[in-house]
Formats: sequence, C-alpha cells, structure tokens
Amino acid sequence: MRLFLQYKFLIILRAIWFAAQIAFFGIIASRMIDPKLPLADIYFEYYVAGVVIMMLYSTSVFIGYDIFEEAEHGVFEYLLSLPVSRRELVLGRSIGGGIRSFVFVGPLIVIALFVIGFTNPLNFLIAFLALFLFAFGVSGMSITIAVAIKSPDRFDILMGAFNAFIVRLSTAMYPQAILQKTSQAYAALAQFNPITFASDLFRWGTGIEQYLTMDPTMPLAAIIGLVIFFFTFTFIGVTIYEKRLEGGGWQ
Amino acid sequence: METKRRRVAVSIIRTVDLTKRFEDLVAVDHLKLNIEDGEIFGLLGPNGAGKTTTVFMLTTVIKPTEGTAIVGEFDVRKNPNDVRKLIGICFQEPKILWVSTPWDVLNWHAKVCGLSTQERKRRVKKVLEDVNMWDYRRKNVHGLSGGMRKRVEVAKVLIQRPKIAFIDEPTAQIDVVGKHKIWNMIRELRDEGSTIILATNELYEADVLSDRVGIMHKGKLLVCDTPKTLKDSIPGGDIIEIRLEKEVTPKALKDLKKFQEVVDIVTVSPQNLRINLNKVEEVVPQIMKLFLKNNLPIMSINMSEPSLDDVFAHYTGLTIEEAQQKGAP
Repeated sequence: MRLFLQYKFLIILRAIWFAAQIAFFGIIASRMIDPKLPLADIYFEYYVAGVVIMMLYSTSVFIGYDIFEEAEHGVFEYLLSLPVSRRELVLGRSIGGGIRSFVFVGPLIVIALFVIGFTNPLNFLIAFLALFLFAFGVSGMSITIAVAIKSPDRFDILMGAFNAFIVRLSTAMYPQAILQKTSQAYAALAQFNPITFASDLFRWGTGIEQYLTMDPTMPLAAIIGLVIFFFTFTFIGVTIYEKRLEGGGWQ
Repeated sequence: METKRRRVAVSIIRTVDLTKRFEDLVAVDHLKLNIEDGEIFGLLGPNGAGKTTTVFMLTTVIKPTEGTAIVGEFDVRKNPNDVRKLIGICFQEPKILWVSTPWDVLNWHAKVCGLSTQERKRRVKKVLEDVNMWDYRRKNVHGLSGGMRKRVEVAKVLIQRPKIAFIDEPTAQIDVVGKHKIWNMIRELRDEGSTIILATNELYEADVLSDRVGIMHKGKLLVCDTPKTLKDSIPGGDIIEIRLEKEVTPKALKDLKKFQEVVDIVTVSPQNLRINLNKVEEVVPQIMKLFLKNNLPIMSINMSEPSLDDVFAHYTGLTIEEAQQKGAP
C-alpha cells in the first residue's frame, strides 16, 4: 500500500495511458479486423487482455534496472552479507519485483476486467495466481540477465531486442488460430512463450477462451509452462548471482 | 571509560593464506590472521591496503581466489550460509535501500536477521534513540546528511548484535560527540559477547578501541599485537622532555646513558633535555631519582608515547598519508 501511495501519480498516469490505449488503438485495431474472421467480434476484448499482460511483462522487467542502481549505491554487498541463502535472496528479489509490478498493473487489471468482465470467479482466481508466477518469473529473468551482463547500456539494448522478440512472438496481440493460418513455424514458437501462457491464462480466466491456443489441455499446459519458466530463471539466477557477484565486485 | 573484561584466547576467525586477486591486482596476499573470541580487533591500513576486501571475504560477500578462512566453526568457502548467520556488517559507505526512512531500513534489516516483531520494535527504537536518530526516523534517507546515514548504518549492527560484527570506518563523517557515543556502543557490544573487527584508517580510533590491532599494507599483514606492544616495539619510541632548574652535568648525562631503555639523549639547551627511550612508564621514576641524586631538581617533565601512526611509519617507512597516496586505487 505504501508503494502504491508513493508512486500514486505514476500509477494514475499509467492507468490513464492504458485507458487511452484501449479506447483509441484498441477500438481502431478491432475495427480493422476482417469481420469474416471468427474472432473479429471480440478482438477488442482479446486486445485489452493482451495489453495487460504486456504491461505486466514490461513492469516486471524493471527490477533489472534496479539492479544497476543498487550496484551503483553498493547495496549489493549489503544484500550478499545478509543471513539468507543466495536462493532466498534471488527468490526474494524476484517475488518483490513481481509484487511491485502487480501494484503498478493492478489498476489496469481492474480496468481490463471492467471492459472484458468475467463469468467464472474460480477460473479468474486461478489465472490471477498464475499471473503472479509469470511476474515473478519475468523479474527473475530480468535479474539474471542484468547480473550476467553487468552493463546498464548493454542491458537496455538487450532487453529492447528481447522485448521485441518475446512480445511479438506471442499470442498477446495475435490469436493462435490466426498465427497457425499464417505461419506454422511462427505459431509453434509462439506456443512456448511465457507471454503466450500468461495471455492465454488471463483470457481463460475472463472467459474468452474460444480464442486461446488450440491446445485442448489449457489451462494446465500454460500453468506448467509458467511454473517451468519461474523455476528455470530462479535456478539460473541463483547460479549467476553466486558466480558473477561473489566472484569479485560488480564491474 | 573502558570496561574491564575477561580475555578468552579462543580463535573465532582464522585465515589460511587468504588471497584475493582482481585480474593483475593482488588485493589481499596470503593473509594469515587469528582473531580471538570477544575482542575488538582493529584492522588498520591506508586506503587500498586490502582491509575492505578482507572483510568482504570473511563475510562471504566475495569469494577468495586462494586460501580460505574459518569464521566461527565454518569455512567461508564451504559453509557460507552458516557464516552469514554469525556475522553483521557496518559498511564503510552507508548501504541503504533507496526509498526508505531510517525506521524502515532498520526494521527491515532486523526482520531479515530474524528478530521477532516485538523485539524488533523495541531494539529499533532504543538504538535509534541511542544514535540520536529518533527524531529523524520518518525522514527519507535522501534528505539525511552523510553523518546521519552513517549512524543508520552503524545502528544496523547494534540492532542485530551479531556474534561477529565487522565495522568499517564506524565514525567517518560523524562529529566528535557522536564518535565517543559510538565508541562506547561498540565497547558495549563487545562486552555483551560480540567479537568486533574494526577496519579503519583512523589510527587514533583503533588505538582507543582495539584490544589488538593488525596493520595491513599492500594486501599483507605486517604486524599484529596489542597497541601497547606494538608501540613498545619501536626502539626509542617514547619521548620525555625534561626541564631542569640548573644546567645538566656531564656525570648526570653519563648516568642517564647507563639505562638500557634510553636510546638517545638530545641536549636541547643546558637545562632542557629530550630523551628517546623505551617503556617510559617504568623508567621515568628512576630517571627522576637520578636527577635528584645529582642535585638537579626537575622543573617540568613532559612524556609522550608513540602513536599507531609511528608504528605504521616504523614498519612501512611511510606515514599513513603517504601510504594512502601511493596505495589509493
């Protein structure tokens, strides 16, 4: 709550930007869809859900930038000297980063739910919890990359490229059904993307599941995908933390 | 006032050829060090001597390149998690999470160190009051002066009360009154059972606080003992200046030279002598007796002991300032 109040103006501005994004671009984009396509009638809702996940991704990535600020202020040494294991430390940072991004994106989720609505509270709860795992995993990934490359400039460039790659190559904006009709390879790659898992789960939670992946095992596959994503980057994060930081200084 | 305490010569930290290299730079070079349980150990040296790197290795912040250290019963390489449960650090530069108040910083630190909610609140309040930061507890750390931030940094260790406390430059940027207060708190921490490793280039601070000191230079440990023994180890390090009522006689000078402890006598003027000697506190009564016996009443006597600066200069051939300039990275 204190974090929310501390950044209230930033969060309010972000919410206004989001509302404008979906009100203008979302409506325009949904009207550009060929009405003969099976999902044209609710592409707007699909788009809103996708934007929420993209926002959650981009705010979760931000923890990586914090790493450089902490390095500059020497907070690393302090954290490394605390009576906690490296695993707990990385996990704590990932979870902290994830929760913070939820604080930032929370109002956007509320707006999205107002626009999309949801019919099954249990489904939505499951999806919502899975999104936490997604945010923690993205934070862990961001920390891992930041610590591994140790350069804010390179991190910025890499995350820009990574962002372009991972967001475009997902079902955040483009439904899997359309991707499959366009390119089998593209669709196959998009299927194993954490943003796809998160977007599909969010849509499943809000009840627009007919536009999800063609995978009939949804939501289990997406949840398993997010669990693997989270644990992979936590494990890699711990290893990198030990090797890169304890090896001797930051740069 | 220094509190009397029981000295227990049990080693709590032992380094075995502890070495750290950063590419071509050997920051710490095969360090062999024993620190006893319950003592305040002053680790001295100019900037760049390897003190902070040593502290970082002993606290598992960085890994040694060669050798190892046993902290408590645990090897820093093999059991770093166990080592971290024993230690607490006050860093040279205050390490503060950048969006918090002093209360938040200390409360969070105490929480991570495993203190219960009630105990945490009690200790945070007491220590904030002790370091005169209670009135500033809700201020943003960005708005605090360097000295205030340093006090918050010191407060972390005082709240944690670790078995082994590493304190790097505890009174840097702190005013004279604050310094004495923090020194007393460090002594209290030691008296409550903590072992304190004090890394500093403030030699006076090390002298008044430390039970033993180790002097580091260019990554190596030059000497290690009590401040008094180290000061006594300088030949003729003590100086007495004597002003006599009459002119000194050749016989008195001859008798004076017979003292084993006397290293050098300078006749500044016929009535003023400057004597370089060892163990001044033991010899002065005998010297006074000698002058009286020679019918030379003493008008005034001024004694000065060597400082740790002199010890450093004796072992390195450099003053601490010169070493600082040469060794600074």
